Amino acid sequence: MHNLGTVFEFEVIRTLKKKTFWITALSFPLIMFAVFGIILLSNQATEDAVKDMEKQQFTAFTLDESGLIDSNLIAAMDIKSVESRALGISAVEQGKIDAFFYYPKDLSKGIEIYGKDVGIFQNGRYDTVARIILDESVGRTIDSNTKTAISGNTNAKFTIYKDGQIYDPIKQMIAPGLFLVLFYFLIAMFGNQAVTSTTEEKENRVIEMLLTTVQARTVIIGKIFALVVLAILQAILFIAPVAIGYAFLHNQLALPSLDLSSIPFDWARISMATLIFSASFMLFIGLLVAIGAATPTAKEASSFIGIVMILIFGPLYAASLFISSPEQPIVQFMSYFPLTAPIPLLLRNAAGTISIPEVMIALAILSFTAVIVIRIAVRIFRFGALEYSRKLSFREILSRR
Amino acid sequence: MNTFIVTVDGFSISFGNTQVIDNLSFKVKRGETFGLLGSNGSGKTTIIRTLLGIYIPTAGSLTIDGEPFDVSGDIKLGYLPEERGLYKKEKVLDVMIYFGKLKGLSADEARDWSLGYLSKVELADKANTKIDKLSGGQQQKIQLGITIMGNPELLILDEPTKGFDPINRRLLMDIVEQHQSKGATVIFITHQMEEVERLCDRILLLKNGQAAAYGSVQEVRKKFGGKNLDSIFIEIYGGRDDA
Repeated sequence: MHNLGTVFEFEVIRTLKKKTFWITALSFPLIMFAVFGIILLSNQATEDAVKDMEKQQFTAFTLDESGLIDSNLIAAMDIKSVESRALGISAVEQGKIDAFFYYPKDLSKGIEIYGKDVGIFQNGRYDTVARIILDESVGRTIDSNTKTAISGNTNAKFTIYKDGQIYDPIKQMIAPGLFLVLFYFLIAMFGNQAVTSTTEEKENRVIEMLLTTVQARTVIIGKIFALVVLAILQAILFIAPVAIGYAFLHNQLALPSLDLSSIPFDWARISMATLIFSASFMLFIGLLVAIGAATPTAKEASSFIGIVMILIFGPLYAASLFISSPEQPIVQFMSYFPLTAPIPLLLRNAAGTISIPEVMIALAILSFTAVIVIRIAVRIFRFGALEYSRKLSFREILSRR
Repeated sequence: MNTFIVTVDGFSISFGNTQVIDNLSFKVKRGETFGLLGSNGSGKTTIIRTLLGIYIPTAGSLTIDGEPFDVSGDIKLGYLPEERGLYKKEKVLDVMIYFGKLKGLSADEARDWSLGYLSKVELADKANTKIDKLSGGQQQKIQLGITIMGNPELLILDEPTKGFDPINRRLLMDIVEQHQSKGATVIFITHQMEEVERLCDRILLLKNGQAAAYGSVQEVRKKFGGKNLDSIFIEIYGGRDDA
């Protein structure tokens, strides 16, 4: 294994020199920046439109049959009442006034608004003013508590206790749950890279020369270490721009403030999440590398990536079950079967529906499987080295000494 | 030190129902140039791949310095395989330095050696060119450079002149002779009898997975009535491929 550093360095540097790595790594933050930009522009435009609307003045008539509209309010707004609905509509039709608001006796039928066209966005001003008149009029007749209760804007503050301590199950999930998000992103974005890292030597016909210069085990482990480091780098490239963007622009984007001090850090769960993430990542990177070694070209290998993705992310469909009914046999099976285990384990760990002994057993299975898969990947890489035109069967891999 | 660097004893190998090599034995002396000859599909490359641990023998043993080949062992090997290829998207110098480091050179040693070699084969201006921008012959020169890097004591060249024009063939011969003169053992797999006559001390002619002739070039010629190697080749194979 004395050439491990050389293989690792070569793999990392040549991947960093590939345009595709940077396109993949930077596409997510670039898309996020584009989305942020659109939100920013849109918020700015909305703000400007509201300010514009506030400045605008227009003539209007009202007819109130609901009995809720405050006549003093509309008088203050220089809005006149008309005798009949027909008169109001006719005044707008003839262009004598800009708008007419009709409040029917039964408000559940809705306010009728008639207005002179001032453009698709500006026409919204009539609706805004008609609603303000109604809200303000009703608000003047009731106290603020009643108003809050009717509006449905009443806040409820929860205080949940667990083992005598204040406990917030949602916030508790955030820190360990980040490992689930990271796992999802890295496998989804890095799966192809893992597969092509071994098909490339076959497609380039360099494998025979390589295997007579360095041990197959050193090449595979060097490649896996390189992939892990590149995955971490890619994760940083994903997260850093988004975090920086949030830190500097969250006010402009009207994003909710994130109070990191309010997020609980349960170090036991975070440690478990780290271990589950590491073992799962090694297992799946090993599996993808093995697929690359067993197939003659990257194109053929890509059809197997889909199967791996289904195995990893299929359990997401049962996500609610992992939290609500962790004792179900299907949940237990998916938590212990190594190829489906990462999502259930990470999710259950985040939600606190798995005990430490259960995690330990699952981790032992995952780690053991990861080692076996990597050993098989080495065998495939060595014995499948010269299979340039066909896939190696599982029987052939195991039968060779 | 063992007189024989390579020993093949009772070696057989089959793929499925096809027996490729059948109970073959031969030895290669340290410091000699040994020619492994045979028609297409006669099993020459299979012998080398099995010797280097890429294939597993069905029976018999193949050793280098008395031990089955191990890349992490002491032997300094230079192997130019029949299937040529390099990292196509990488620069010439980067690939040469990588292989140099794998062969135990420092990065600086590998760089200096590579630049010297590239000058010698008139590819100095291609050091920072990507491999896939080179012609087939130029790529082959790079691969030959990687093979001889680090002064290997055992050089195995599988059809090294395939695809070379006469000028580059001469260049390759000169390089092989330089290594011979330094005491390297060379195993040469080829169809080119001219090369064999010029370079090889001893030869093995394979037919149907067995030795049809084995010994020094003079011994083999004597056995076939003093004919030249071209005529012997035609006589043995009758103008037909084994495959």
